[in-house]
Amino acid sequence: MKKLWLLTILVFLLIPPGSLQAQAQVAKNKKISYAAEGVTLKAAFLELEKLSGFSVSYNNTLLNDRRIVKIVKRERSLSEIMSLLLDGTAFTFKQADDGKILIITRVADKGKITGRITDESGQPLPGATIKIPAVNVSAQAMDDGSFSLSAEPGIYDVELSYISFQTLTKENIRINANATTRLDASLVSGSNDLTEVVVTALGIRREEKSLGYSVTKIDSNQLTNAVSNNWTDALSGKVAGLNLVRSNGGPAGSNKIILRGENNLTGDNEALIVVDGVVINNSGGRRTANASDGVYGTGSDNMPADYGSSLNDINPEDIESVTVLKGPGAAALYGQRGANGALIITTKSGNSKKKRIGIKFTSNGSLESANRWPDMQYEYGLGLDGQADYAYGTSPNSGSSSAYGPRFEGQLFYQYDPVTQTRSTVATPWVPYKNQIRDFFQAGQNITNSLALDGAYNNTTIRVSATNQNNTWIVPNTGMERTSASLSLNSKVTPKLNISTKLNYNNRFSDNLPGNGYGNQSLMYWFIFWQPNADINWLKNYWVNGQEDKLIKYPYSSFPENPYAIVNEFINRTSRNGLTGNLQASYQLTKALNLQLRTTMDLASEKRAQERPYDAGTKLPQGSYRTQDIYGQETSNEFLIRYTKKVKNTLDISATAGGSQLRNKYNKKDLRADGLKIPGDYYMTNNLYPLISIPDTSRYRINSLYGLVSLGYKDYLYMDITGRQDWNSVLATPTRTDNVGFFYPSVSASFVLSEYFKLPKTISFAKLRASVSQVGSGANVPYRTSYTYGLAANGTYPDSALNNPGVLPNPNLKPLKTTTYEFGADLRFFNSRLNFDVAYYAGNTKNQILTRVVDRASGYNQAIINAGQINNSGIELAINATPISVKEGFKWTASFTFAANKNKIISLPDSSIILRTGPIAGGQIVAKVGGSMGDLYGRGYVRSPDGQVVFDGTTGFAKITSDVTYLGNTIPKYKISIGNNFNYRRFSLGVLFDAQVGAVAHSLLNYKMVEQGKLASTLPGRYNGIIGNGVVQNPDGTFRKNDVIAYDIDEYYRSNMGSENAEGSTFSTDFIKFREASLNYTFNPRLLRNTGLSSITVGVYGRNLFIWSPWPMFDPEFGTLSGTDIVTGFEIGQFPSTRTVGFNLIIGI
Amino acid sequence: MLGTTLSSCDKGFEEINTDPINILSTTPDKLLAPALVNTLSAGMSRNRSFNNELMQVTVSLSDGDGTVFRYEYRRTWSDYLWNSWYVQLNNFKDIYILAKQPENLNTSYQGISLICQAWVASMLTDTYGDVPFKEAGEGKNGKLEPVFDRQKDIYLDLFNKLEEANTLLGKGQEITALGDPVYKGDVSKWRKFGNSLYLRLLMRVSGKSEVAAMSIAKIKEILDTKASDYPVINSNAESAVLKWSGQGGSGPYVNPYYNGVRAQDFRAPSICKFFIDHLRDWQDPRIDISTYGTGGVNRLGINPGSTGFSGVPSGYAIGTNLNRLSYFYSYDQLISDVAVGNKSLQQSATTGILLNYAELQFIRSEAALKGWTSASAEEHYNKGIAAAINYWVPAFSADPSSAAFNKYVTEADINWDASLNTEGKMEQIHLQKYYALFLVDMQQWFEYRRTGHPVLPKGAGLRNNGVMPARMSYPVYVQSANPTNYKLALSAQGADEISTNVWWQKP
Repeated sequence: MKKLWLLTILVFLLIPPGSLQAQAQVAKNKKISYAAEGVTLKAAFLELEKLSGFSVSYNNTLLNDRRIVKIVKRERSLSEIMSLLLDGTAFTFKQADDGKILIITRVADKGKITGRITDESGQPLPGATIKIPAVNVSAQAMDDGSFSLSAEPGIYDVELSYISFQTLTKENIRINANATTRLDASLVSGSNDLTEVVVTALGIRREEKSLGYSVTKIDSNQLTNAVSNNWTDALSGKVAGLNLVRSNGGPAGSNKIILRGENNLTGDNEALIVVDGVVINNSGGRRTANASDGVYGTGSDNMPADYGSSLNDINPEDIESVTVLKGPGAAALYGQRGANGALIITTKSGNSKKKRIGIKFTSNGSLESANRWPDMQYEYGLGLDGQADYAYGTSPNSGSSSAYGPRFEGQLFYQYDPVTQTRSTVATPWVPYKNQIRDFFQAGQNITNSLALDGAYNNTTIRVSATNQNNTWIVPNTGMERTSASLSLNSKVTPKLNISTKLNYNNRFSDNLPGNGYGNQSLMYWFIFWQPNADINWLKNYWVNGQEDKLIKYPYSSFPENPYAIVNEFINRTSRNGLTGNLQASYQLTKALNLQLRTTMDLASEKRAQERPYDAGTKLPQGSYRTQDIYGQETSNEFLIRYTKKVKNTLDISATAGGSQLRNKYNKKDLRADGLKIPGDYYMTNNLYPLISIPDTSRYRINSLYGLVSLGYKDYLYMDITGRQDWNSVLATPTRTDNVGFFYPSVSASFVLSEYFKLPKTISFAKLRASVSQVGSGANVPYRTSYTYGLAANGTYPDSALNNPGVLPNPNLKPLKTTTYEFGADLRFFNSRLNFDVAYYAGNTKNQILTRVVDRASGYNQAIINAGQINNSGIELAINATPISVKEGFKWTASFTFAANKNKIISLPDSSIILRTGPIAGGQIVAKVGGSMGDLYGRGYVRSPDGQVVFDGTTGFAKITSDVTYLGNTIPKYKISIGNNFNYRRFSLGVLFDAQVGAVAHSLLNYKMVEQGKLASTLPGRYNGIIGNGVVQNPDGTFRKNDVIAYDIDEYYRSNMGSENAEGSTFSTDFIKFREASLNYTFNPRLLRNTGLSSITVGVYGRNLFIWSPWPMFDPEFGTLSGTDIVTGFEIGQFPSTRTVGFNLIIGI
Repeated sequence: MLGTTLSSCDKGFEEINTDPINILSTTPDKLLAPALVNTLSAGMSRNRSFNNELMQVTVSLSDGDGTVFRYEYRRTWSDYLWNSWYVQLNNFKDIYILAKQPENLNTSYQGISLICQAWVASMLTDTYGDVPFKEAGEGKNGKLEPVFDRQKDIYLDLFNKLEEANTLLGKGQEITALGDPVYKGDVSKWRKFGNSLYLRLLMRVSGKSEVAAMSIAKIKEILDTKASDYPVINSNAESAVLKWSGQGGSGPYVNPYYNGVRAQDFRAPSICKFFIDHLRDWQDPRIDISTYGTGGVNRLGINPGSTGFSGVPSGYAIGTNLNRLSYFYSYDQLISDVAVGNKSLQQSATTGILLNYAELQFIRSEAALKGWTSASAEEHYNKGIAAAINYWVPAFSADPSSAAFNKYVTEADINWDASLNTEGKMEQIHLQKYYALFLVDMQQWFEYRRTGHPVLPKGAGLRNNGVMPARMSYPVYVQSANPTNYKLALSAQGADEISTNVWWQKP
């Protein structure tokens, strides 16, 4: 390595130091003794003519020189004297062959600056600008980042800039005439560019300083430094106010992105995802569980698999930038679907500056494994109530799922014999098989390779890329393969007409995705039920001897399935093709008027299949084969007319008007053969009973008209006014349309203090912004306005019998309206090395559309309602700092984000509204006036007046309330992240930590594993009794410290944390996560010259490396699949969360 | 131009937002079958896991806590029946509304609806006590938080409904046979079921002083003085039974024990000593394998176990070392390599009982015993036994004058004992009624709570002070879903505990 550096230095030294040309012609070597003693130049020439004999001629009008020259007398050559006389003037001289001296105007001899502009990692920045503001000359960097710029000799401040990089000013750069000054610079990326351009709603590009609402921009490398299976994971901790809810439900595990708090719990609270102008939430991005598949699956039907959404399928390498528009103000122009903020993803385009094809190859590989395990006990084996004896199949409770049995002391018991699949005839030692359950899970592997080409031809730029990802997940025999291709074309057909298109195709294929949740077919169910006294290897032969393909052997409790059978026989397949694209034409009608037409589409077609063997559980004793054919399509046609005008150089006016027509449709055909003639043959004609066909469909339209007026006054005052009218078909009933149309306006303003006032030098930039905006929304679930009867039992009744609906529709459904006020400031200090972005927002949502759980005595399970009013407010702070920046050396940048959100329910149609119910102990999310969305209620401990837990005076068990009590809120109060990046030469190291505080959730895994005595937390007191920490009530009603020994340990723990006591298994979800670490090294391009490569970056990274949390189970940041949604609050058999460690390789050709 | 653009912005939205799959309006016949199946399935499910454990038909072999047979069930038991039955009550109520509409006018459907409402509502109130009824199913009229009605008011209202049903069904208007899995469109049988149900409910409140006179008078009317106006079930063929015709896993009419319980779980509980000892001692045809059984299986699908018919005593203390004895076969067990199949109750067609002929006979017997009718308690007692056996064993005559019957009662020593006092006779009647009510939702439990018969032995492990639980607590979520009315119900009825007696149970 050292040699390389020497070589580099050598290369520098060998660069020829420029051609140092002579300044003037050499006069004859005649020396003259000459002095000028305070005479004018013309007088000096006269004297010289006399002394030398050569005539000196000059243009009298040009050489209007009155200056006094003074030269000490000495013997000098003629040219020496002439130089001295003309020094500092605009003239030089020329001596003709006859010796005649001509005084001529000096021809400016320029100098040059050359060098190379790179980013921090040494990657060239083609198109970066170098500028000398003093003389107003500039140049742009070439493909390899090199540039050349000529200027008059002198000493200048040189500015180097590039979009989304901080502008760098190099002071006191000397340019010598006819000389070349070398200037290499690396620019620091960041949002600190004062005139950064961001993509806002409808794809309109705006200077960030002109915006009256907060935006956060994330660049590609922030997404690719530490890649995970789902690229959206990388948004964690990078945007204040962004919250990810992860299903972690398998290789295709989807995420839900929420901006600024979940002010809507049951419906659409998800941010709008826009890829190149295509909204992908509702078609390709739609998450669709199979209707029968509930995550609390005690009905023994199929467990839901997370089939992922098309958002996951975007290759992060294709992403140019992600702009996060947090408030509804930002998204007002996206209409109702932008009510929860928007993520605007722009994929990369071809680079018009490049003169040749650029090729970039990226390879990424990673391993993932569980990062956290519950603390399980290995001291006691199968049994109940501390029974001392055990014999497989004969002793009491030998079918139990609990581990409140005999202590492991190596005593000899007749246990299960996996060979005969019955009780062994030989007694074997009673010993634990510690942590074997962990071995069931494997290290997941992920390999992603992608190749991108881009270039320009004439007026057309093009970029194509292809990506292949291959994944095996931590659950054996699960994984997926993803292949995607993208094309971006942009053509300037004429100077006025621009046509562009972007197409993204992807295919996701899996021959097995794991089932989630709590039910016999789920692995995590088995995880709970598995016994510490059993060897996992006993399960590997999972068929009953002699009953292969017909009966599954599980030696213990009949509830769970054999996990090896689950992974090998309970198969969930998917093959999905998705295509999103846009076609856009922009025509400059006049200098001021521009027309843009755009068509976008999002198509997704997916085939899923579920295979279940014989003996798959209560519902499917003869196996099952089900297929779903899913087709989703959303198309949108838009027009946009834009008028721009500059009035007297002080006022910029831009007015935009547009309209769009959106059509969404979705069809699903679910075909089922629940019962197979031949076990293990999965095709529809192997049906034992008539096939069941379950159709599902949805369609809706949204038509919109909108306008935007933007005013900019003198670079410091900006204002936007928007208005939009939507007509949403989901609010129509079969007979009327009076609720379908709704209008909402917004106003936002920004004031750049630093342009208006002369601020102290420490303040580089200061901006204040404010906005008021409204967004209306009718949501996008159709058919909720009319009362309909559904086919009973999937239409299997001979007379097509019907049922009343389970969800009560609302024929008067109104659009919700959210009003938000936002104030913010963008302050930058010390040459933008310390930047603050702060936003405060407050507002309310009226007529929120909620799905409410109602008393079944009403005849319905749920009802669609318009809720009253919910107020929401919060604060977001982002700090970016560059504490250390040594030129060409060590650099440290740090970022900090903080977001807090709170909401209060102001009014409701009823005093108490259940939004969701949990699986046990009356656990429920309830909205009450004065409360907050996400309030968790359930039964809990009976407490004495001073708050101590009351225990039963006879049994010693904790007493449990019969009423539900408030247990906490399930939405975090605030989130914090701290990121640091260190760059030293070509190394860069990034670390990111984030934390959330203030929420609770109920854990099913905990309650169930406590009930079964599987957790170490259930060890104290076995079996000589335990006295709970609390009080007992005396007969006179007073309380004394608990002195009652509970001997029934099972029931003691059950009373504390079991199914009846929701409080006992409700835990804080506070956490600190070591979210990301990445170390990259970029090779010096000069060293690559001979290899034909332009760049190589190699790196290693880790994700979710550590979690510090009081949460006793896997990951406090869980999300639970719920139909098409992912919800929090109730953990229901979550898969282990994973730590990812991987490498990156980027090769540019 | 703008105007035309704007007005066309919601063009066709009515049609677009009309559900292309689900149906906007229907007729009463379409709603009946699934509501019957679902109500019955829920009742059967809890009959097996709840009623049978409380009432010593079966015993789970578990030291696990919160076991029903130890009178210790948890609040989480409460949601299932509430949630299942109320949704069906809504379907039944809707049948009445639809059948009253001019285009669907049908008095028989109105009557059937009223009977089914009475059937479901009585099971709800007998399970929980005061429950929503008048406002139940009124969600579509904006009542999302229905008022709880007092049990007394519910009963009085149900009597009115059954009265009206008797009148409506008397008109004999035809209904669709295909949509009626119970009586295949035979309206007269529905009428008989309605009146028999009427008797069941009158009998249930006949001991409650404030309504005793009225209910006794009505019983007399139905059975005696106005018997011709109130036809009742007169044979097993007229019993209200939904036959599980869908064998295996096909179609909607599949035995819910097959679809809802795993085979190994179905056969897991042991038969209880109380239940099996009588049948064994009586040499009861229902468990007789050689004479009345088929394929080595008796008619109740009970596996004798290794030691012959014997059962585990209920209410045993934790830590008692017990093994399963006799148990119910699961459908997949093999006898001489042949699967038990529909000889197991898990796949049997005959487990779907709403109300059977035998129950009615024991009601008659009790009414006669108490002197409310002029009939003979003994006669109906014998008819009840014969009918109960005949239900499961068709080869055994339902006629109590048959030789086989006489031989049976004599050898079993269960002849009507005229020498016993009323309590003794009640025990005789109700011990037999207990077997007649086998598998009939929670009726054994309801009757035990009413009469204290048959006298059940009490094990050492019983909780709840050894007292049979009087009800299920309300589902916990109702506290938040319907908070005001929940609190009112508690203040009217008492604490929401399993030991709180319901109205008709209170002295």
